Amino acid sequence: MRNALTKTAALLPFLFFSISVFAQCDAEGYSQKALKALQQGYTFVKSYKIDGKNGVRKNIEYTCVFSKDTNYMLRIEGKDGGSKGIVATLLDNQRQELTTNNLNGKSYPGWTYRCRSTGIYYILFSFKESESYCGAAVLGFKR
Amino acid sequence: MKRLYLLFSLVLMLACGANTPDRNTQQSTNDEFTGTSASEFTLPQISDDLVANIMQSIPSPIETSFLIKGIGAPYNVSNLNDPNLVTNYNTNYSQALNLGVYSTDLGFANLYDKNQDVLNYLNAVKKLADNLGIGQYFDYKTIKELASSSGNVEQLLQLTQQNLEKIHNHLNEQKRESLTILILTGGWVEALYLTTLVHQKSNNKELKERIGEQKIALEQILTILDVYKTKPNFATLIADLKELNKIYSKVQIKTTVGKPTQKVVNGEIITEDNTVSTVIIQDADVQAITSMVKSIRNKIIKS
Repeated sequence: MRNALTKTAALLPFLFFSISVFAQCDAEGYSQKALKALQQGYTFVKSYKIDGKNGVRKNIEYTCVFSKDTNYMLRIEGKDGGSKGIVATLLDNQRQELTTNNLNGKSYPGWTYRCRSTGIYYILFSFKESESYCGAAVLGFKR
Repeated sequence: MKRLYLLFSLVLMLACGANTPDRNTQQSTNDEFTGTSASEFTLPQISDDLVANIMQSIPSPIETSFLIKGIGAPYNVSNLNDPNLVTNYNTNYSQALNLGVYSTDLGFANLYDKNQDVLNYLNAVKKLADNLGIGQYFDYKTIKELASSSGNVEQLLQLTQQNLEKIHNHLNEQKRESLTILILTGGWVEALYLTTLVHQKSNNKELKERIGEQKIALEQILTILDVYKTKPNFATLIADLKELNKIYSKVQIKTTVGKPTQKVVNGEIITEDNTVSTVIIQDADVQAITSMVKSIRNKIIKS
Protein backbone atom coordinates (compact mmCIF):
# COMPACT_ATOMS: atom_id res chain seq x y z
CA MET A 1 0.00 0.00 0.00
CA ARG A 2 2.69 2.46 1.05
CA ASN A 3 4.75 1.32 -1.93
CA ALA A 4 1.91 2.08 -4.35
CA LEU A 5 1.34 5.48 -2.77
CA THR A 6 5.04 6.31 -3.06
CA LYS A 7 5.01 5.32 -6.76
CA THR A 8 1.93 7.41 -7.43
CA ALA A 9 3.37 10.41 -5.63
CA ALA A 10 6.57 10.05 -7.62
CA LEU A 11 4.61 10.03 -10.86
CA LEU A 12 2.48 13.07 -10.05
CA PRO A 13 5.02 15.80 -10.90
CA PHE A 14 5.74 14.07 -14.22
CA LEU A 15 2.02 13.81 -14.88
CA PHE A 16 1.43 17.54 -14.39
CA PHE A 17 4.61 18.37 -16.29
CA SER A 18 3.36 16.30 -19.24
CA ILE A 19 -0.05 17.94 -19.20
CA SER A 20 1.35 21.48 -19.05
CA VAL A 21 4.20 20.99 -21.51
CA PHE A 22 2.17 19.08 -24.05
CA ALA A 23 -0.97 21.15 -23.66
CA GLN A 24 -2.69 21.33 -26.98
CA CYS A 25 -2.87 24.58 -28.90
CA ASP A 26 -6.44 25.81 -29.29
CA ALA A 27 -5.94 27.31 -32.73
CA GLU A 28 -9.69 27.47 -33.37
CA GLY A 29 -10.15 30.14 -30.70
CA TYR A 30 -7.30 32.27 -32.07
CA SER A 31 -8.65 31.84 -35.55
CA GLN A 32 -11.95 33.40 -34.42
CA LYS A 33 -10.05 36.32 -32.88
CA ALA A 34 -7.99 36.83 -36.04
CA LEU A 35 -11.17 36.78 -38.10
CA LYS A 36 -12.49 39.74 -36.14
CA ALA A 37 -9.31 41.64 -36.99
CA LEU A 38 -9.86 41.27 -40.75
CA GLN A 39 -10.63 44.68 -42.16
CA GLN A 40 -14.08 45.38 -43.53
CA GLY A 41 -14.41 44.58 -47.21
CA TYR A 42 -12.19 41.52 -46.97
CA THR A 43 -13.85 38.14 -47.37
CA PHE A 44 -12.56 35.28 -45.28
CA VAL A 45 -11.01 32.59 -47.42
CA LYS A 46 -8.82 30.34 -45.26
CA SER A 47 -7.56 29.90 -41.74
CA TYR A 48 -4.17 28.56 -40.72
CA LYS A 49 -3.34 26.70 -37.55
CA ILE A 50 0.00 27.77 -36.04
CA ASP A 51 0.99 25.07 -33.61
CA GLY A 52 4.71 25.00 -32.90
CA LYS A 53 4.23 22.02 -30.56
CA ASN A 54 5.77 23.94 -27.67
CA GLY A 55 8.82 24.88 -29.71
CA VAL A 56 9.51 21.46 -31.19
CA ARG A 57 8.30 22.65 -34.58
CA LYS A 58 10.25 25.69 -35.73
CA ASN A 59 8.50 26.41 -39.03
CA ILE A 60 5.00 25.77 -40.23
CA GLU A 61 4.37 26.28 -43.89
CA TYR A 62 1.26 26.41 -45.99
CA THR A 63 0.97 26.51 -49.75
CA CYS A 64 -1.60 28.78 -51.36
CA VAL A 65 -2.62 30.00 -54.78
CA PHE A 66 -3.05 33.75 -55.13
CA SER A 67 -4.83 35.39 -58.04
CA LYS A 68 -3.66 38.52 -59.81
CA ASP A 69 -5.42 41.82 -59.22
CA THR A 70 -6.52 40.65 -55.79
CA ASN A 71 -5.59 42.05 -52.38
CA TYR A 72 -4.90 39.50 -49.67
CA MET A 73 -4.89 40.35 -45.99
CA LEU A 74 -3.41 38.11 -43.31
CA ARG A 75 -4.25 38.55 -39.64
CA ILE A 76 -2.48 36.73 -36.81
CA GLU A 77 -3.58 36.03 -33.24
CA GLY A 78 -1.59 34.01 -30.76
CA LYS A 79 -1.51 32.86 -27.19
CA ASP A 80 1.21 35.41 -26.38
CA GLY A 81 -1.25 38.19 -27.32
CA GLY A 82 -1.89 39.54 -30.81
CA SER A 83 0.84 38.60 -33.27
CA LYS A 84 3.53 38.63 -30.56
CA GLY A 85 6.07 35.86 -31.04
CA ILE A 86 4.73 34.82 -34.47
CA VAL A 87 6.34 35.79 -37.75
CA ALA A 88 4.37 35.26 -40.98
CA THR A 89 6.43 35.50 -44.14
CA LEU A 90 5.04 35.34 -47.66
CA LEU A 91 7.30 33.66 -50.20
CA ASP A 92 6.91 33.39 -53.96
CA ASN A 93 7.27 30.13 -55.88
CA GLN A 94 11.04 30.68 -56.04
CA ARG A 95 10.97 30.98 -52.26
CA GLN A 96 11.90 34.66 -52.37
CA GLU A 97 10.53 36.70 -49.50
CA LEU A 98 7.77 39.08 -50.54
CA THR A 99 6.51 40.39 -47.23
CA THR A 100 6.51 39.73 -43.51
CA ASN A 101 4.70 41.02 -40.45
CA ASN A 102 8.03 41.51 -38.68
CA LEU A 103 9.45 44.71 -40.09
CA ASN A 104 12.53 46.41 -38.65
CA GLY A 105 12.18 44.44 -35.46
CA LYS A 106 8.56 45.44 -34.95
CA SER A 107 5.74 42.93 -34.98
CA TYR A 108 2.64 43.94 -36.95
CA PRO A 109 -0.76 42.20 -36.72
CA GLY A 110 -0.37 40.87 -40.25
CA TRP A 111 0.12 42.17 -43.77
CA THR A 112 -1.72 43.16 -46.91
CA TYR A 113 -0.42 41.89 -50.22
CA ARG A 114 -1.49 43.31 -53.57
CA CYS A 115 -1.04 40.40 -55.93
CA ARG A 116 -0.35 40.98 -59.61
CA SER A 117 0.82 37.52 -60.50
CA THR A 118 -1.30 34.39 -60.30
CA GLY A 119 0.61 31.45 -58.93
CA ILE A 120 1.72 29.36 -56.03
CA TYR A 121 2.88 31.15 -52.90
CA TYR A 122 3.98 29.95 -49.49
CA ILE A 123 3.04 31.36 -46.10
CA LEU A 124 5.78 30.47 -43.64
CA PHE A 125 5.06 30.83 -39.95
CA SER A 126 8.00 30.91 -37.57
CA PHE A 127 8.49 32.00 -33.97
CA LYS A 128 10.51 34.85 -32.49
CA GLU A 129 10.82 34.99 -28.72
CA SER A 130 7.57 33.12 -28.41
CA GLU A 131 6.45 31.74 -25.08
CA SER A 132 3.52 29.69 -26.28
CA TYR A 133 4.32 28.71 -29.91
CA CYS A 134 0.59 28.73 -30.48
CA GLY A 135 -1.83 30.76 -32.55
CA ALA A 136 -3.74 31.03 -35.78
CA ALA A 137 -4.00 33.26 -38.81
CA VAL A 138 -6.75 34.01 -41.25
CA LEU A 139 -6.54 35.09 -44.86
CA GLY A 140 -9.07 37.35 -46.49
CA PHE A 141 -9.29 38.68 -50.01
CA LYS A 142 -10.67 41.74 -51.73
CA ARG A 143 -10.76 42.41 -55.45
CA MET B 1 -5.13 1.45 -4.25
CA LYS B 2 -3.89 -0.71 -7.10
CA ARG B 3 -6.80 0.62 -9.16
CA LEU B 4 -5.86 4.18 -8.26
CA TYR B 5 -2.31 3.52 -9.35
CA LEU B 6 -3.51 2.03 -12.65
CA LEU B 7 -5.79 5.02 -13.20
CA PHE B 8 -2.90 7.42 -12.68
CA SER B 9 -0.74 5.41 -15.04
CA LEU B 10 -3.47 5.55 -17.68
CA VAL B 11 -3.90 9.32 -17.29
CA LEU B 12 -0.14 9.69 -17.54
CA MET B 13 -0.02 7.72 -20.78
CA LEU B 14 -2.84 9.80 -22.24
CA ALA B 15 -1.13 13.00 -21.21
CA CYS B 16 2.09 11.92 -22.89
CA GLY B 17 0.16 10.94 -25.99
CA ALA B 18 -1.21 14.45 -26.36
CA ASN B 19 1.93 15.45 -28.20
CA THR B 20 1.87 12.55 -30.63
CA PRO B 21 2.36 14.09 -34.08
CA ASP B 22 -0.99 14.34 -35.82
CA ARG B 23 -0.63 12.72 -39.21
CA ASN B 24 -3.76 14.44 -40.39
CA THR B 25 -2.71 17.95 -39.57
CA GLN B 26 -2.89 20.52 -42.33
CA GLN B 27 0.58 21.69 -41.58
CA SER B 28 3.77 20.62 -43.21
CA THR B 29 7.29 21.56 -42.37
CA ASN B 30 9.04 23.58 -45.03
CA ASP B 31 11.27 20.76 -46.14
CA GLU B 32 8.36 18.50 -46.93
CA PHE B 33 6.94 20.27 -49.94
CA THR B 34 8.59 19.05 -53.08
CA GLY B 35 6.60 20.97 -55.65
CA THR B 36 4.75 17.91 -56.90
CA SER B 37 2.86 18.45 -60.11
CA ALA B 38 0.37 16.46 -62.14
CA SER B 39 3.12 15.34 -64.45
CA GLU B 40 4.85 13.48 -61.62
CA PHE B 41 2.39 10.64 -61.38
CA THR B 42 5.14 8.10 -60.89
CA LEU B 43 5.34 9.03 -57.20
CA PRO B 44 4.23 5.87 -55.39
CA GLN B 45 2.98 7.65 -52.31
CA ILE B 46 2.94 11.11 -50.86
CA SER B 47 2.68 11.90 -47.20
CA ASP B 48 -0.61 12.70 -45.48
CA ASP B 49 0.79 16.12 -44.58
CA LEU B 50 1.61 16.88 -48.18
CA VAL B 51 -1.83 15.71 -49.34
CA ALA B 52 -3.44 17.99 -46.73
CA ASN B 53 -1.20 20.90 -47.70
CA ILE B 54 -1.98 20.64 -51.42
CA MET B 55 -5.69 20.20 -50.73
CA GLN B 56 -5.64 23.20 -48.46
CA SER B 57 -3.96 25.26 -51.19
CA ILE B 58 -6.67 24.69 -53.80
CA PRO B 59 -8.23 28.12 -54.32
CA SER B 60 -11.69 28.75 -52.97
CA PRO B 61 -14.43 29.03 -55.63
CA ILE B 62 -15.69 32.11 -53.82
CA GLU B 63 -12.85 34.16 -55.35
CA THR B 64 -14.07 33.23 -58.83
CA SER B 65 -17.66 34.04 -57.85
CA PHE B 66 -16.53 37.53 -56.80
CA LEU B 67 -14.81 37.98 -60.16
CA ILE B 68 -17.97 36.95 -62.04
CA LYS B 69 -20.10 39.37 -60.05
CA GLY B 70 -17.42 42.04 -60.34
CA ILE B 71 -17.61 42.14 -64.13
CA GLY B 72 -21.33 42.86 -63.84
CA ALA B 73 -22.64 39.45 -64.90
CA PRO B 74 -26.31 39.01 -63.98
CA TYR B 75 -27.39 36.23 -61.64
CA ASN B 76 -28.94 33.31 -63.45
CA VAL B 77 -30.15 30.45 -61.27
CA SER B 78 -30.56 28.18 -64.29
CA ASN B 79 -26.77 28.17 -64.62
CA LEU B 80 -26.51 26.49 -61.22
CA ASN B 81 -27.23 22.86 -60.37
CA ASP B 82 -30.87 22.16 -59.54
CA PRO B 83 -31.09 21.72 -55.74
CA ASN B 84 -33.95 19.24 -56.24
CA LEU B 85 -31.50 16.78 -57.78
CA VAL B 86 -30.02 16.26 -54.32
CA THR B 87 -32.08 13.09 -53.75
CA ASN B 88 -30.46 11.50 -56.81
CA TYR B 89 -27.04 11.38 -55.20
CA ASN B 90 -26.85 8.05 -53.41
CA THR B 91 -23.19 7.14 -53.23
CA ASN B 92 -20.46 8.77 -51.15
CA TYR B 93 -18.71 9.58 -54.41
CA SER B 94 -21.63 11.47 -55.96
CA GLN B 95 -22.60 13.03 -52.64
CA ALA B 96 -19.12 14.43 -52.04
CA LEU B 97 -18.71 15.76 -55.58
CA ASN B 98 -22.12 17.40 -55.53
CA LEU B 99 -21.58 18.76 -52.04
CA GLY B 100 -18.75 20.69 -53.68
CA VAL B 101 -20.98 21.74 -56.59
CA TYR B 102 -23.77 22.92 -54.30
CA SER B 103 -21.30 24.71 -52.02
CA THR B 104 -20.11 26.79 -54.95
CA ASP B 105 -23.73 27.46 -55.94
CA LEU B 106 -24.53 28.39 -52.35
CA GLY B 107 -21.64 30.88 -52.30
CA PHE B 108 -22.79 32.27 -55.65
CA ALA B 109 -26.38 32.74 -54.48
CA ASN B 110 -25.06 34.25 -51.24
CA LEU B 111 -22.98 36.78 -53.13
CA TYR B 112 -25.96 37.93 -55.18
CA ASP B 113 -28.09 38.08 -52.02
CA LYS B 114 -30.70 35.67 -53.46
CA ASN B 115 -32.23 34.53 -50.21
CA GLN B 116 -34.64 31.88 -51.44
CA ASP B 117 -31.93 30.26 -53.56
CA VAL B 118 -29.53 30.43 -50.62
CA LEU B 119 -32.05 28.50 -48.53
CA ASN B 120 -32.57 25.94 -51.31
CA TYR B 121 -28.84 25.36 -51.73
CA LEU B 122 -28.36 25.36 -47.99
CA ASN B 123 -30.88 22.51 -47.71
CA ALA B 124 -29.10 20.59 -50.46
CA VAL B 125 -25.71 21.10 -48.79
CA LYS B 126 -27.11 20.09 -45.41
CA LYS B 127 -28.69 16.93 -46.81
CA LEU B 128 -25.49 15.80 -48.50
CA ALA B 129 -23.38 16.70 -45.47
CA ASP B 130 -25.76 14.67 -43.25
CA ASN B 131 -25.58 11.72 -45.63
CA LEU B 132 -21.80 11.84 -45.45
CA GLY B 133 -21.94 11.98 -41.63
CA ILE B 134 -20.50 15.50 -41.41
CA GLY B 135 -23.72 17.50 -41.06
CA GLN B 136 -22.87 18.38 -37.47
CA TYR B 137 -20.02 20.60 -38.69
CA PHE B 138 -22.39 22.73 -40.74
CA ASP B 139 -24.11 25.43 -38.70
CA TYR B 140 -27.33 25.11 -40.65
CA LYS B 141 -29.45 26.97 -38.10
CA THR B 142 -27.36 30.17 -38.02
CA ILE B 143 -26.85 30.25 -41.78
CA LYS B 144 -30.57 29.74 -42.29
CA GLU B 145 -31.37 32.59 -39.90
CA LEU B 146 -28.94 34.91 -41.70
CA ALA B 147 -30.29 33.88 -45.10
CA SER B 148 -33.87 34.53 -44.03
CA SER B 149 -33.31 38.27 -44.21
CA SER B 150 -31.36 40.26 -46.76
CA GLY B 151 -28.31 42.40 -46.11
CA ASN B 152 -26.23 39.73 -44.38
CA VAL B 153 -24.09 38.84 -47.38
CA GLU B 154 -20.71 39.29 -45.66
CA GLN B 155 -21.71 37.31 -42.57
CA LEU B 156 -23.26 34.59 -44.72
CA LEU B 157 -20.18 34.25 -46.88
CA GLN B 158 -17.91 34.15 -43.86
CA LEU B 159 -19.93 31.56 -42.01
CA THR B 160 -20.39 29.39 -45.09
CA GLN B 161 -16.66 29.48 -45.83
CA GLN B 162 -15.83 28.67 -42.21
CA ASN B 163 -18.26 25.75 -42.17
CA LEU B 164 -16.86 24.31 -45.37
CA GLU B 165 -13.38 24.58 -43.93
CA LYS B 166 -14.56 22.75 -40.80
CA ILE B 167 -16.00 19.98 -42.96
CA HIS B 168 -12.70 19.58 -44.80
CA ASN B 169 -10.73 19.56 -41.54
CA HIS B 170 -12.97 16.99 -39.90
CA LEU B 171 -12.94 14.72 -42.94
CA ASN B 172 -9.16 14.86 -42.89
CA GLU B 173 -9.08 14.12 -39.16
CA GLN B 174 -11.32 11.12 -39.79
CA LYS B 175 -8.90 9.97 -42.50
CA ARG B 176 -11.56 10.49 -45.17
CA GLU B 177 -9.41 12.78 -47.29
CA SER B 178 -10.66 11.12 -50.47
CA LEU B 179 -14.03 12.75 -49.79
CA THR B 180 -12.40 16.13 -49.19
CA ILE B 181 -10.72 16.06 -52.58
CA LEU B 182 -14.03 15.11 -54.22
CA ILE B 183 -15.75 18.06 -52.52
CA LEU B 184 -12.95 20.38 -53.64
CA THR B 185 -13.04 18.97 -57.17
CA GLY B 186 -16.82 19.38 -57.43
CA GLY B 187 -16.57 22.95 -56.18
CA TRP B 188 -13.75 23.77 -58.55
CA VAL B 189 -15.47 22.25 -61.60
CA GLU B 190 -18.67 24.19 -60.84
CA ALA B 191 -16.77 27.48 -60.48
CA LEU B 192 -14.91 26.90 -63.75
CA TYR B 193 -18.15 25.89 -65.47
CA LEU B 194 -19.86 29.12 -64.32
CA THR B 195 -16.85 31.16 -65.45
CA THR B 196 -16.94 29.60 -68.93
CA LEU B 197 -20.70 30.19 -69.21
CA VAL B 198 -20.38 33.86 -68.33
CA HIS B 199 -17.33 34.21 -70.57
CA GLN B 200 -19.24 32.77 -73.53
CA LYS B 201 -21.77 35.58 -73.21
CA SER B 202 -19.48 38.42 -72.16
CA ASN B 203 -16.19 37.59 -73.89
CA ASN B 204 -14.60 39.30 -70.89
CA LYS B 205 -10.80 39.40 -70.92
CA GLU B 206 -10.44 38.93 -67.16
CA LEU B 207 -12.62 35.84 -67.22
CA LYS B 208 -10.63 34.45 -70.14
CA GLU B 209 -7.47 34.91 -68.13
CA ARG B 210 -9.08 33.34 -65.04
CA ILE B 211 -10.06 30.31 -67.13
CA GLY B 212 -6.42 29.96 -68.23
CA GLU B 213 -5.12 30.38 -64.67
CA GLN B 214 -7.07 27.30 -63.59
CA LYS B 215 -4.21 25.29 -65.06
CA ILE B 216 -2.50 25.64 -61.67
CA ALA B 217 -5.46 24.39 -59.63
CA LEU B 218 -6.11 21.52 -62.04
CA GLU B 219 -2.56 20.27 -61.60
CA GLN B 220 -2.98 20.34 -57.83
CA ILE B 221 -6.32 18.52 -58.02
CA LEU B 222 -4.90 15.82 -60.31
CA THR B 223 -1.94 15.31 -58.01
CA ILE B 224 -4.23 14.56 -55.09
CA LEU B 225 -6.83 12.55 -57.02
CA ASP B 226 -4.05 10.29 -58.19
CA VAL B 227 -3.36 9.30 -54.60
CA TYR B 228 -6.85 7.81 -54.45
CA LYS B 229 -6.98 6.42 -57.99
CA THR B 230 -7.88 2.92 -56.81
CA LYS B 231 -11.05 4.10 -55.07
CA PRO B 232 -14.37 3.43 -56.85
CA ASN B 233 -15.20 5.88 -59.67
CA PHE B 234 -11.99 7.86 -59.27
CA ALA B 235 -10.45 6.45 -62.47
CA THR B 236 -13.19 7.94 -64.68
CA LEU B 237 -12.97 11.33 -63.01
CA ILE B 238 -9.17 11.33 -63.28
CA ALA B 239 -9.35 10.33 -66.96
CA ASP B 240 -11.77 13.18 -67.68
CA LEU B 241 -9.66 15.72 -65.85
CA LYS B 242 -6.52 14.48 -67.59
CA GLU B 243 -8.24 15.16 -70.92
CA LEU B 244 -8.93 18.66 -69.67
CA ASN B 245 -5.31 18.92 -68.59
CA LYS B 246 -4.22 18.08 -72.15
CA ILE B 247 -6.00 21.21 -73.35
CA TYR B 248 -4.48 23.17 -70.49
CA SER B 249 -1.00 22.06 -71.53
CA LYS B 250 -1.32 24.59 -74.37
CA VAL B 251 -1.94 27.39 -71.87
CA GLN B 252 1.10 29.36 -70.78
CA ILE B 253 1.45 31.54 -67.73
CA LYS B 254 4.34 33.95 -68.18
CA THR B 255 5.73 36.06 -65.40
CA THR B 256 7.82 39.19 -65.51
CA VAL B 257 9.68 39.39 -62.25
CA GLY B 258 9.88 42.62 -60.31
CA LYS B 259 10.84 43.46 -56.74
CA PRO B 260 7.98 44.01 -54.31
CA THR B 261 7.60 47.39 -52.64
CA GLN B 262 6.62 47.65 -49.03
CA LYS B 263 5.22 50.52 -46.99
CA VAL B 264 3.53 51.02 -43.66
CA VAL B 265 0.25 52.91 -43.83
CA ASN B 266 -1.70 53.55 -40.61
CA GLY B 267 0.12 50.72 -38.85
CA GLU B 268 -0.58 48.32 -41.68
CA ILE B 269 2.12 46.68 -43.80
CA ILE B 270 1.11 46.97 -47.44
CA THR B 271 3.17 45.18 -50.03
CA GLU B 272 2.75 45.80 -53.73
CA ASP B 273 3.72 42.93 -55.99
CA ASN B 274 5.75 44.04 -58.98
CA THR B 275 5.93 40.61 -60.53
CA VAL B 276 3.27 40.45 -63.21
CA SER B 277 1.80 37.33 -64.76
CA THR B 278 0.18 37.06 -68.16
CA VAL B 279 -1.90 34.16 -69.37
CA ILE B 280 -1.44 33.14 -72.96
CA ILE B 281 -4.49 31.21 -74.11
CA GLN B 282 -6.00 30.88 -77.57
CA ASP B 283 -9.72 31.37 -78.14
CA ALA B 284 -9.93 27.85 -79.56
CA ASP B 285 -8.50 26.49 -76.31
CA VAL B 286 -11.02 28.47 -74.26
CA GLN B 287 -13.74 26.90 -76.40
CA ALA B 288 -12.28 23.44 -75.92
CA ILE B 289 -12.06 23.98 -72.15
CA THR B 290 -15.64 25.31 -72.08
CA SER B 291 -16.92 22.23 -73.87
CA MET B 292 -14.88 19.76 -71.81
CA VAL B 293 -15.82 21.35 -68.47
CA LYS B 294 -19.50 21.25 -69.43
CA SER B 295 -19.19 17.55 -70.18
CA ILE B 296 -17.38 16.78 -66.90
CA ARG B 297 -19.84 18.87 -64.91
CA ASN B 298 -22.79 17.09 -66.54
CA LYS B 299 -21.36 13.74 -65.56
CA ILE B 300 -20.95 14.96 -61.98
CA ILE B 301 -24.46 16.35 -61.56
CA LYS B 302 -26.04 13.33 -63.23
CA SER B 303 -23.99 10.82 -61.27
